Amino acid sequence: MTTRRGFITGCSAAVAAFAGANFNTVAFGSPEGNNQEILVSVFLRGGMDALNLVMPIGGADRGLYETARPEIMIPLTGTNAALPLSGGLGIHAGVNTIDGANPAPSTLYDLYQDNKLALVVASGMHQDNRSHFDSMNFMELGTPGDLTTPTGWLTRHLATAGNLPPEIIMPALAVGNLQQAALRGSTEAINMTSPDSFSLEVGPWQWRDAQRTALRSLYTGNSWLHQSGYDTLDAIDIIELNSTGGYTPANGAVYPNGSLGDHFETIARMIKLDLGLRVATIDYGGWDTHESQGEDGGGYFLSKIEELSRALTAFYTDLNGSGSNNYTSKTTIVVQSEFGRRLRENNDRGCDHGHGSAMMVLGGNVNGGVHGVWPGLANGQLFEGADLAVTTDYRRVLSEILIRRMGNPFLGQIFPGYTDYSPLGVVGGTDLPPIYGDDLFEDGFEAGNTSAWS
Amino acid sequence: MENVRDLTLTRRRILAAAGLSAGAAALPATALLAAQSASADGLAMRNPQDLPATEGGLPALPSAAVVTLNRCAFGPRPGDIAAFQALGPNDPARIAAWVAQQLDYNSIADPEIDSRLAAANFESYGFSTDPDTLLSTLWDWYDQGNAPGGNSSSSVPRDEMTRGTFLRAMYSKRQLHEVLADYWRDHFNVFINHSSWARITYQHLDLILRQNQMGRFRTMLEAVTRSSAMLYYLDNFTSSDDGPNENFCRELFELHALGAENYLGVLQQNQVPTDPDGKPIGYVDADVFEAARAFTGWSFAYGNGGDPDNGLYYYRPSWHDRFQKTVLGVFMPQDQADEKDGKDVLDALASHPGTGRYIARRLCTRLVSDEPPQSLIDTVAALFTAQWQAPDQLKQVYEAILLSDEFRTTWGEKIKRPFEVVAGALRAGGADFTLKREDDDTNSFLWRYDDTGHELFNWPAPNGFPDQIDAWKSMTPRVACWRICNWLIEFRDDNDNYYVDVLAQTPGNVRSANALADFWIQRVFGRAIDPDDRQEIVEFMGQGFNPDFDLNLDDEDTGLRVRSMVGLLFMSPEFLWR
Repeated sequence: MTTRRGFITGCSAAVAAFAGANFNTVAFGSPEGNNQEILVSVFLRGGMDALNLVMPIGGADRGLYETARPEIMIPLTGTNAALPLSGGLGIHAGVNTIDGANPAPSTLYDLYQDNKLALVVASGMHQDNRSHFDSMNFMELGTPGDLTTPTGWLTRHLATAGNLPPEIIMPALAVGNLQQAALRGSTEAINMTSPDSFSLEVGPWQWRDAQRTALRSLYTGNSWLHQSGYDTLDAIDIIELNSTGGYTPANGAVYPNGSLGDHFETIARMIKLDLGLRVATIDYGGWDTHESQGEDGGGYFLSKIEELSRALTAFYTDLNGSGSNNYTSKTTIVVQSEFGRRLRENNDRGCDHGHGSAMMVLGGNVNGGVHGVWPGLANGQLFEGADLAVTTDYRRVLSEILIRRMGNPFLGQIFPGYTDYSPLGVVGGTDLPPIYGDDLFEDGFEAGNTSAWS
Repeated sequence: MENVRDLTLTRRRILAAAGLSAGAAALPATALLAAQSASADGLAMRNPQDLPATEGGLPALPSAAVVTLNRCAFGPRPGDIAAFQALGPNDPARIAAWVAQQLDYNSIADPEIDSRLAAANFESYGFSTDPDTLLSTLWDWYDQGNAPGGNSSSSVPRDEMTRGTFLRAMYSKRQLHEVLADYWRDHFNVFINHSSWARITYQHLDLILRQNQMGRFRTMLEAVTRSSAMLYYLDNFTSSDDGPNENFCRELFELHALGAENYLGVLQQNQVPTDPDGKPIGYVDADVFEAARAFTGWSFAYGNGGDPDNGLYYYRPSWHDRFQKTVLGVFMPQDQADEKDGKDVLDALASHPGTGRYIARRLCTRLVSDEPPQSLIDTVAALFTAQWQAPDQLKQVYEAILLSDEFRTTWGEKIKRPFEVVAGALRAGGADFTLKREDDDTNSFLWRYDDTGHELFNWPAPNGFPDQIDAWKSMTPRVACWRICNWLIEFRDDNDNYYVDVLAQTPGNVRSANALADFWIQRVFGRAIDPDDRQEIVEFMGQGFNPDFDLNLDDEDTGLRVRSMVGLLFMSPEFLWR
């Protein structure tokens, strides 16, 4: 896999002429050469219990669900009752009980009713693997079954997208302490938790500038370490110059306290700086609920769902302004986890590792509602007789977003080995024939052939 | 390579000539200037002027002293390089002598850490070296509310564990012991902020790892399995025959012993191929499920239902699944003696060649390189498995790794993680800093350190902090390390005494920019560095003056410049290689 740096070097350096403009809004070449869409990838780490996010609320499956989960099932009545979706399914959408706010903040269910939230049931990987760490890497690298892939699926998306300008100040943002595996190998992503601590304004002030000059020289070199340090210095300059002052969320959005809310706020803030952000990754851990996940729809699992629900709705609200502040019209948020959990609860009021999960897709161009095929909960319908089956490959959902929203059909590059894509209808947009070749150069691209990029 | 170097020089020269490299920082932060800077210097993460990615530029192999003290210790303290050099006539002999000393760690006098720990005046940390005494006392103080100091918060043992671990990394002479304890804490990770019980029991886990890490893996594995910290963190403490909890056994197989590389998914047990000895070549989900049954009843005493409430390991025979089981081809008949099922599982795991391969690879990854040579892994794995019953099995394994040619001749295929960066800066800087609990300066230091993402014992998932470049090349830890390193060189106590006193440690005859640069380069790196990089340091120190002229370090700005120069060395790429 050639890195981005590797195959864009032949591109003419005419960007100097555009000094003073926001590079992402500069029209390079043809109109289709400047896709403005933003993809936010949210990973729920630990194996989110999808059967307590989306569950049957009627029919034979409800009986099987209640029998298998006598303690931890989401009830049909009461404060934390499942709210109805279509097809006999319901959602545990996170009713606000955290701080008793009045009126209660809106939840995922409001977004669902507004047709902005799609739920893809029984999604996941067809791998027979119940390891958190293997499964997360399979998904984020975009190569189920192969942990050795040097780049993440989002890295390869950014590297192959032919419709992005050759210069972007901040194409990708990995929020958190470490860069996510979905952006592994990317040299153009900025990884940070908050712009406020992403600065070198520390040490004796008299010598800071001279020290920074010297530091840049010391990081000028050929090794990956020199290059990543040099990129980091660029990133610091970008953040220091552009994100001065504080940030006030728009449209009355209130992010929940805690790092999840803070991290979503960081993404919103970076989007609004108009630095060209196209891809962002964010994590939310703590889903490995082997024990005491809560009864009657309350307890620990509810607190997780609530925080997620409030963070997603705050993020959506913050971006959902009008006119030039309507960022939701170009933003798609996809939420996934490495696997679901076993149908049958364990003796500790939790549940063990399972198989099929659920994905959530949120955004201005999402076709809200329930998508995918519910496989059923009878013994013969379960994976290995124990877990929800997988009826939708997670790559199908991501591929649809890539093609219809991001305009990138190079599935063979992004998800090598995945060859039977067809859209599920989760998002709107124009269909492009998927390109399955696993070598970029087969498809008319080669180093220095910049015409293909603009 | 010739070409590659030219490109670098060109870029370096352009930057120097145009004075643009720090332009963005030096100029007023207006959008217009920012954009100009962007156009001239490519201040965009996606930038057509970016140099092509290359494989080159990796550092040359330094002396064995530098290799060893950066990979088997938290970097050199003043005098360490010279002491290492005096250990023998050549590098292999020096390594052998150093490793022999360090493996026999009890024979190393360690007065400085003893006095530092005494000065820290901890209430709980190091209270006892008897594991049961330590655990039951911590439980009494911080769970039952009987702490002698009157503060029974579980943050007390947690905070003292953090401070004690920093102090040992900074001041203990038993450096290999500290590096290995750090390794095993990641290997058997428990998230200290999982709960108050995790905070209370963590020191006990650390103690049993330290006491077993030079011994036999099988013994260490059982000690961890019986530790209240692990029993609680991975839920085995409530696992019973009513519905076994698989959490612990999943990670016992995948992370503690066999590794995911020996995981065969959902095959049936009788579908797994066997090796020449008739053992299944790997494990499947059914082995995890069966093992979970084998460990039902392994719990600890937390006072439920009239049980004792002392936090110690507690076997609950009535919770044990008494029926027959099969794990990794080992058949366990029904109604075995108490704990025998679990011990049979641990035997099967510890003796399995797959465990040898997995642990060998992990240890070589920590001690040698991110992608250790397969030949080394194979040698170490064979030794691990052949010696699985030897009382000094692990000591033999470390020795095989550290005395290998691969260890001595490998450099720059790992980088320091934030703990190693910061502890290393404190060591190289000759810090005089006793971390204490409820001390504002300590808190200020740790508050900054925790931004690096390597907050000690604070990794939520059971796989422990990552060990490889892929994770630690991220920008968040890089920026946070730069910030704390540059903050450390002006970190002072209430009386304005510097904790890392660069000027006080600079000899009186070292005053020119050249001499200052060379003295501190040698001190921090233990070696000469690339001449271009040295020149950058000299130019920073000289600021246009003749680099052979003596500077007046009593001048405040000049003195601060020397401190900033040392900060720059700590922030440099050279400081990160190991």
